[in-house]
Amino acid sequence: MSFIDKIKNLIKPSVFEDVFVAELVAALSPERVRFDATERFLHSHDSSVFDEGNAGPICFPITTREVQTIMRISEKHGRSIVARGAGTGLAGGAIPLGAPVVVVMTKMNKILEIDIDNRVAWVEPGVINLDLSRYLQPFGFHFAPDPSSQQVCTIGGNVANNSGGPHCLAYGVTDAHVLALEIVLPDGEVATIGGLDPEPVGFDLRGAFIGSEGTLGIATKIAVRITKNPPTVRTLLLSFSSMRAAAETVSAVIAAGIVPAAMEVMDQRITIAVESFVGAGYPTDAAAVLLVEVEGLVDGVQIDASNIREIGFKHGATDVRVAETDNERELLWKGRKTAFGAIAQIAPDYYLHDTVVPRSALADVLEKVNEVAERYDLIVMNVFHAGDGNLHPLLLFDAREEGMLEKVHAAGAEIMRISLDAGGVLSGEHGIGIEKQAYMDELFTTEDLNHQNRLRYAFDPQCRSNPGKILPAGHSCADIQSLKNVPQGVWG
Amino acid sequence: MKATLKIDTVLNRFAEAVGPSLPIAIEGNRTRWGLNGLLKPGTSVISAPSGLVEYKPEEMIVTVRAGTTVQELDTCLADHRQRTSLPDRGGTVGGAIAVGHNDLHKLGKGSVRDAVLQLRYVSAEGKVITCGGPVVKNVTGFNLHKLMVGSFGTLGFIAEVTLRTNPTPLRQLWIQTSMDPKIIFDTLQRPSAILWDGTTTWVHLEGHPPDVDAQYALLTKSGKVYESETGPSLPAHRWSIPPVDIFSLEKTLMGRFVASIGVGTVWAEQPQEERKLDRATLTITERMKKQFDPTSRLNPGRNLGNWS
Amino acid sequence: MDLKLDSEELNTCVHCGLCLPHCPTFRITGEEALSPRGRIRLMQEIQTNDQMVTKEALASFETCIQCRGCEPACPSGVPYGSLIEQTRKTLVQENRILPRWQRIPYHVLTRPRLLRFLSRLLTIANKVHLIPKRFAIPKNIPFFNKPLIPSGTDVYLFTGCVMDAWQRETHQAGKRVLEHLGFGVTPTGDRVPCCGALHTHAGLGTKAQEIAENVINSLSDNERPILVDSAGCGAALKDYGHLLGTEEALAFSSRIFDIHEWVEKHIETFAVSSKLSLRVAIQDPCHLRHVQRSHRAVRNVLEPFVDEVIELNDDGLCCGAGGAFSIFQPDLASKARDQKIAVINEKQCDVVASANPGCSMHLQQGGIDIRHPMDIIDEAISLKTIPSDL
Ligand SMILES: Cc1cc2nc3c(=O)[nH]c(=O)nc-3n(C[C@H](O)[C@H](O)[C@H](O)COP(=O)(O)OP(=O)(O)OC[C@H]3O[C@@H](n4cnc5c(N)ncnc54)[C@H](O)[C@@H]3O)c2cc1C
Ligand SMILES: Cc1cc2nc3c(=O)[nH]c(=O)nc-3n(C[C@H](O)[C@H](O)[C@H](O)COP(=O)(O)OP(=O)(O)OC[C@H]3O[C@@H](n4cnc5c(N)ncnc54)[C@H](O)[C@@H]3O)c2cc1C
Ligand code: SF4
Ligand code: SF4
Repeated sequence: MSFIDKIKNLIKPSVFEDVFVAELVAALSPERVRFDATERFLHSHDSSVFDEGNAGPICFPITTREVQTIMRISEKHGRSIVARGAGTGLAGGAIPLGAPVVVVMTKMNKILEIDIDNRVAWVEPGVINLDLSRYLQPFGFHFAPDPSSQQVCTIGGNVANNSGGPHCLAYGVTDAHVLALEIVLPDGEVATIGGLDPEPVGFDLRGAFIGSEGTLGIATKIAVRITKNPPTVRTLLLSFSSMRAAAETVSAVIAAGIVPAAMEVMDQRITIAVESFVGAGYPTDAAAVLLVEVEGLVDGVQIDASNIREIGFKHGATDVRVAETDNERELLWKGRKTAFGAIAQIAPDYYLHDTVVPRSALADVLEKVNEVAERYDLIVMNVFHAGDGNLHPLLLFDAREEGMLEKVHAAGAEIMRISLDAGGVLSGEHGIGIEKQAYMDELFTTEDLNHQNRLRYAFDPQCRSNPGKILPAGHSCADIQSLKNVPQGVWG
Repeated sequence: MKATLKIDTVLNRFAEAVGPSLPIAIEGNRTRWGLNGLLKPGTSVISAPSGLVEYKPEEMIVTVRAGTTVQELDTCLADHRQRTSLPDRGGTVGGAIAVGHNDLHKLGKGSVRDAVLQLRYVSAEGKVITCGGPVVKNVTGFNLHKLMVGSFGTLGFIAEVTLRTNPTPLRQLWIQTSMDPKIIFDTLQRPSAILWDGTTTWVHLEGHPPDVDAQYALLTKSGKVYESETGPSLPAHRWSIPPVDIFSLEKTLMGRFVASIGVGTVWAEQPQEERKLDRATLTITERMKKQFDPTSRLNPGRNLGNWS
Repeated sequence: MDLKLDSEELNTCVHCGLCLPHCPTFRITGEEALSPRGRIRLMQEIQTNDQMVTKEALASFETCIQCRGCEPACPSGVPYGSLIEQTRKTLVQENRILPRWQRIPYHVLTRPRLLRFLSRLLTIANKVHLIPKRFAIPKNIPFFNKPLIPSGTDVYLFTGCVMDAWQRETHQAGKRVLEHLGFGVTPTGDRVPCCGALHTHAGLGTKAQEIAENVINSLSDNERPILVDSAGCGAALKDYGHLLGTEEALAFSSRIFDIHEWVEKHIETFAVSSKLSLRVAIQDPCHLRHVQRSHRAVRNVLEPFVDEVIELNDDGLCCGAGGAFSIFQPDLASKARDQKIAVINEKQCDVVASANPGCSMHLQQGGIDIRHPMDIIDEAISLKTIPSDL
């Protein structure tokens, strides 16, 4: 222990915290720095089921410069930071571990520039995904990634989680739609990575940053690609008397060389819950429904739609309905996109999984998932991005029941293994966060993880940005250290 | 359960060849050998193993070793009417990814970085590292596989990749016109390339036959259009600029040029002025190189950001 | 602290956050504490953790406009309205919010003559600039009101408290429209001076129940439909069944119709012969759209009488009026209004229609030309008397 540390230990730890908070307040403003118990409690949670969050001071910056200052003050005090968007993450990415400064980006929510000629929009990270698409509507453009949470999640959060959505099947996930980023590094430096040109010079740091779940720094400006609205859109709703038939239809469509804009499957339980919320005319007696959207030029859309219809019938579809009006189509999508929320009608808690399997393995994997649920005596519901093999089994439960959480976690672990055994991966869009760290070494070797950590280190040598995430303990550089930096008891 | 390496002997032999010490370089077909600095003389040069590992047309993914030529890959995919976004100009798959340049049909085929799903490389320590995942959608862990695209073999030597494939459109058509390329870009829904040399515009249309015909018809409405055998011949140097800058750029800087409208790639007689990284980006770049190749043994002389 | 919340209701929230963008205070601030999810999470925590009854937590509840925009947005069907009403009720009972001096104005509402007297005082005080601007008092409170004369016994027209004192002209218009459709109208007048909506919102739940019983008693001598032209009052009256939990109250609530719902039901009897050349943007009062969910009716009844009915592009986000909200939280209220004004200005419209007096007054303060749909229809009908060759 150094001499200084010894002296520090003699002084009440809260004194240092007071100085720390005072510096933050001076740099931003009293209303935009909070450290009361209520704000800290609220910012210790996101949409995930994890409860171990512990937030330090909460900052609401409004400029890049303020973010820089927060980073510098935190560095000076040896404290870590965690960025937060709308807090809809499902893997606990925004949950603060070890009382870091929570940097809430929602007040940086300006659409800075729309550059139609270059097909680019510059936005601040707090802009809500759907707000951007709505803003672009009169220009005939939209932002393609459309997570089901798009009405609330921020583009900064989308970048950090490399979020997908139903329409990412044809268009690609967030990564394919972000051209450049202004980021503030944990040491307070600003870097612009990527570029509006197609092959920016240097390493693809933008590609490395996207999906890094806030562990490499904070994005403060984002240049996103904007996509022309398609001239024709056709939405088909196929009903099936078994989930297997629906899953096989999906595989068959892909195998036939058709890449629809979206292909989503919902099982009967979900369909019933959703229908009672939106009243979109979903068939509640079908064992599974498949929502397919094709878009593009009118003839091609016609051809694809009728091929899909045929494939559907060939694989046991009992009914194929085509949405006649925009309103009908919107309602169908509203149903799909509120599916997770609608679950509470059935049970008070859910644990939403997110794995990806090869599309040809869908039917088998789903059956195995059902077996697991049965064995653990849990209700499982399935609503998923079938087109890219992205499963979302939802385990329903009531957390107030004794021993329930353990059971749910054990079942979840089995589901992950089933997916890995089928040649899949741990997460298709929600990320690893704190949820799946423990499973990372089932997909990667120690050496692989070590290399991932090197990437992290190049951006954040002290591991002060969102410590304790993604990489399992023991593989991440100075995580442990930065988690311990908080004086005991001050923010406990 | 721990992940165990399911890596075949071919990759292991490649890893052994790379070894843990002494400078070493990797070559593909040397079609882009001169880019980004000259190799330090005296460095021994190896090449990546080649061959198709697995092709699942119904999954639209293919796994190949990096030394396979893009042409071989294309031939194999063509049997199932599929393709990838990698450009074929005589090089290897590993080279195409290491260089990261996109095909001139980028608007239709997509970009190289989006095609790479999983990647195995041999590290400076001579170990095989796996990153990404063999499915079309994946956010598991850090995106090392993205980092490898365009890194010119300076962080690791690409051994094997799993790529996304796409259906090859049923009809493809080159057309030629003197119409304003900007108007063409705004008019067409999804052309796969629009090339412009300052006077003439070449458009590559693809898709369902009736769609291609409809787009063609649409263009004939606004001006004179001719079918063409191929696109234009491309000058040697490659520029990368924001797409609309081509209309304001001083053309004498480029000499004869062909610009990809809506993309920002320009092929020109003159090379593009050196592009610089900002200070913070350079710092990350240097740290990255240090992390992955502390002794600078991989492709010594190649330099993407002026690290020392 | 036991907030006396129904634990099933409270636990329905899965914290998905889908309600956040529909919450005006979250839209303004981007802060979790000022969002429905944050408020619900605090309620949940407070139930088991007394330490969480902090001034910040109380502020979170007090800044809720109770517009209930979060409710239809919630796929889980969280009954947010009843959760926040109960929370505030308990907190008022425990004297944690709404200091006694702030409760005084609520007593005035149930005393029509006193209310009218004070209104006049207020008008004068306001005219001579005695009242600070932040207390958003409308400038055009009428000094005298023409009496509302009964014209028959087919339906009641519920006249309420503040609206009757400040916007009786709209009652007159609504009454004429109903008469035009052939209904004889009995205004409820001073017999039922107030519906108790503002009391419920403030957390004065017990007082609200008292008022509700009084209203039911006064209007239960027959089964006539009771029509309401104020969205806030309509929502409260329709909720008596839930508020009192009696069969009688339930039966009473089923007699309540928003005036637009009623007119829509009888729209065929309207002989429309003249249109106003107006493009009308619809501002949906929260308590019509999110609570009564009968905002479609406004469009359907207006459409025949105007050139164009224009939708605002904000999914019915609250304008910040919120009953007494604009008085106690002037800052948030005016920011919410700015948001609303911005979406109104996006559209080419001549006038904005709002079916709630609170919203109208609040938006008028922001310089928006706003009228009650009944006023517009009334004008259109009166045109009919003009010979068509003019
Ligand atoms: C009902 C529901 C449906 C969903 N559907 C989908 C779906 O279809 N597809 C999908 O992919 N996801 C989905 N999600 C998950 C979630 O909405 C997405 O991951 C979303 O992108 C998170 O955005 P956010 O703004 O809420 O970020 P947060 O949850 O606040 O943060 C997520 C991560 O991003 C980091 N972060 C946030 N802002 C920044 C920034 N500016 N710079 C750096 N790091 C930052 C945080 O540190 C954290 O690690 C869903 C969630 C819910 C609740
Ligand atoms: C006349 C001509 C025209 C061309 N036109 C185009 C065009 O229009 N569009 C286009 O996109 N490209 C074009 N190219 C470039 C070419 O198609 C690609 O860049 C090529 O695929 C590179 O592959 P290669 O095997 O030849 O690599 P090489 O030239 O051998 O190597 C290029 C770099 O990549 C490194 N490298 C090679 N293999 C590996 C590996 N396995 N792991 C790590 N690093 C590796 C090398 O060390 C070197 O630094 C053209 C080339 C020529 C000669
Ligand atoms: S109230 Fe409903 S929409 Fe809001 S967070 Fe809770 S469950 Fe989600
Ligand atoms: S009632 Fe209105 S202000 Fe209150 S939480 Fe719901 S949406 Fe927000």
